[in-house]
Amino acid sequence: MSRRPPRGEYIETDTGNKVARKATLVGTQNIMLGGKTVIQPEVMIRGDLIRSIQSSSSSSSSSSGTPNNTAVAIGRYCFLSRASCLRPPGRLYKGAFTYMPLRMGDHVFVGPSSVIQAASIGSHVYIGAKVVVGEFAIIKDYVRVLDETIIPPNMVIPSFSIVAGQPARVIGEVPEGGHEAFELRELYKTVGNNPQPAAS
Amino acid sequence: MAPLNPYTYIQCPCSDSASLGRPSDPTSPASADGDEEDNTFDPRAPRANFSLYPLEYLLYCEDCHQIRCPRCIAEEIATYFCPSCLFEVPSSNLKSEGNRCTRSCFQCPICIGPLSVTSIEMPPSDPNLLAPDRAATPHTTYSLICSYCNWSSTEIGIQFDKPNSIHAQLAKIRNGGASRLTAKERKERRKELSHRGGEAAAAAASEAAAGQDVDLETQFANLKLFYTSQLADPNAGDTGFSSLGDLGFSSPSSLSRIMNLYTGGKLHDPRAKSKLGAMREAVTADEGLLEADLDESSLIAQLHQSDFLDTASSTQICSQPPNLGEPHLHGAVRFNSSLRPVPYLLRTKRSKRCPACRHIVSKPEAKVLTTRFRIRLVAGSYIPSISIRRLNLPGPNGPAAPAILGDLLEPLKPVHFVLTFKNPIFESLKVTLGAPAKTPGRFPSKVTVLCPQFDIDANTDVWDEALKDNDRESSSRSRRRAGTESQFQVEVGKIWERGRNWVSIIVEIVPASLKLEAGQDALREDEDVLEIPMFVRIEWEVENGGEDAASGPGRDKDQQEKRELAYWCVLGLGRIKQG
Repeated sequence: MSRRPPRGEYIETDTGNKVARKATLVGTQNIMLGGKTVIQPEVMIRGDLIRSIQSSSSSSSSSSGTPNNTAVAIGRYCFLSRASCLRPPGRLYKGAFTYMPLRMGDHVFVGPSSVIQAASIGSHVYIGAKVVVGEFAIIKDYVRVLDETIIPPNMVIPSFSIVAGQPARVIGEVPEGGHEAFELRELYKTVGNNPQPAAS
Repeated sequence: MAPLNPYTYIQCPCSDSASLGRPSDPTSPASADGDEEDNTFDPRAPRANFSLYPLEYLLYCEDCHQIRCPRCIAEEIATYFCPSCLFEVPSSNLKSEGNRCTRSCFQCPICIGPLSVTSIEMPPSDPNLLAPDRAATPHTTYSLICSYCNWSSTEIGIQFDKPNSIHAQLAKIRNGGASRLTAKERKERRKELSHRGGEAAAAAASEAAAGQDVDLETQFANLKLFYTSQLADPNAGDTGFSSLGDLGFSSPSSLSRIMNLYTGGKLHDPRAKSKLGAMREAVTADEGLLEADLDESSLIAQLHQSDFLDTASSTQICSQPPNLGEPHLHGAVRFNSSLRPVPYLLRTKRSKRCPACRHIVSKPEAKVLTTRFRIRLVAGSYIPSISIRRLNLPGPNGPAAPAILGDLLEPLKPVHFVLTFKNPIFESLKVTLGAPAKTPGRFPSKVTVLCPQFDIDANTDVWDEALKDNDRESSSRSRRRAGTESQFQVEVGKIWERGRNWVSIIVEIVPASLKLEAGQDALREDEDVLEIPMFVRIEWEVENGGEDAASGPGRDKDQQEKRELAYWCVLGLGRIKQG
């Protein structure tokens, strides 16, 4: 009997991204992963919700297939936990309903069962479990969003804030000694087909 | 009971008032604070709560070689900015326009969510409209809409003509749509009237002012004008107090006169008026008098008719800034229809200074959008961090049960915890620990630190260490293998494990039994949490680079300088099972 090596739970790309086989990624040609990003099972990334309005400077030929059609752009060392969902936000723009790209920075941790519809998320952001980030919200760097927060649409969260509540309010500030806690390099090593045990 | 994750809180020396202000003397080997001889630190004392901080919140002053906490640090404001539009507000604007955003950033008065400006489409022109000339051009109006609770400013009757500078437009509108004159406009009108005519025009203006509602801003301006005029010319009073000239109100002229009596008259200003007239209070609305309308029957009738949800809650009322467009309400805002959009409070970027030596300990970049810091001296880079995990040793009957974090501790059964000290600095550290044998409180648990004194190696580069010897790597990896834990014996005086820049030791705890005797109070909140106070003293040597001003003339440049730091910390380990 031939013995195939067991299929790992994750697909590891050469840029170091670890994408679970059970994750649902729609429209993958519009999803940019930065490298060393972990996508856990049951994550959904909607790459099919792209801009439908093309700017006038683009070529007059067919509108599909233009190179800069990113729906979701993710930075390095991001971690998308189970059952989270990344959806580009959409609105009425010049009379037509269109979607805008969702941009995430580096070292972003998205907690389980969270729904992210923000316009942009900065670097070193921790988003807890069951968080809903409303459409076109802007989260700056070094922000900590606690569990079960609901961030209303169009909200701007400045850097170094700790945010909680429904609707979200800034309840505290990240102390100067807390910057290193946002780094996700160690967490990246604990996941995958050959997980290293967590360094204490 | 909520499961407890182990935590470490450190007490800042600022709470010990004797040590603050004493200049640090790095050459003397004397103990840093007298807590060691004094009573042991009680983490359950009511004051203790205010002096304990986790390691992330502490900063370190390099000159005093002391840790600083958010309580003792002196903060200076570097920049003010609006948290919504992220625009920097120069500090000169703060004095004139207050500490709120004056652009278009507002919060919903009902739910404190962000408001966004949206346009309202005007309905197609109706022939019955009273403004026929405007019906030809479509006129978009804008309103503020909350995206969380769907409140709209049209609910209080406010709409805007332009989508920007909403703050200025809002100052000119009252709830319900009536317009309001701002203070500037009133001043200009008064000036115009006074320029045009003499007495007759002034009388007409004052009558007109009395006829209008006097709102907070105008009332304040009128009162201020009245009082300054009274102070300048006190003899205009027409009451009978002029005979009692010595009794002065606290005006500058009377104060100086009273001071002259005490100083003997040499500083007497011959030009000052010797007789002080009396001051009177405001009498008319033009001077700032506002009669309280204590008849609230109309408000009560409205309350009878409206719904409970139409009234404003206390949090909603408290978040409203003072409404300058309405007269002073001698009660409070009661209805949701009188709530107004709340401008955002400005946020700050602050730089922090050591209170003793005034050196800057933390300084962010002044630009709002950069997140870097120019100076950032955190305690985490100077004192060892302590991480706690529970250790389950195999009993005499079989293999060890896996340790679950947050498990309740059995009373009167010894448990072991592994404390890992990580050294952040580039010199080797000598750590001495002291913990009281019994924890303070009503239910004392027995604490034994198995190795109270040990050395931690310096935090050198990973590659240096790997090149030096390979044995260290294997020993650090063996820590993670579950099977080998049983090989390690718990011995007094020996460390548990050692790594490149960390050391683990064992602490043995016998939790107390939480049985209440007859006559004792019931268990208070969090009294079942096992917390051990521990005194940590670290010593390390620094190569003196010759910059120290205290060095004598004949000092050898290579001499090692011994430095030490000591502090109390509290380790929260877990909850004890009740019953």
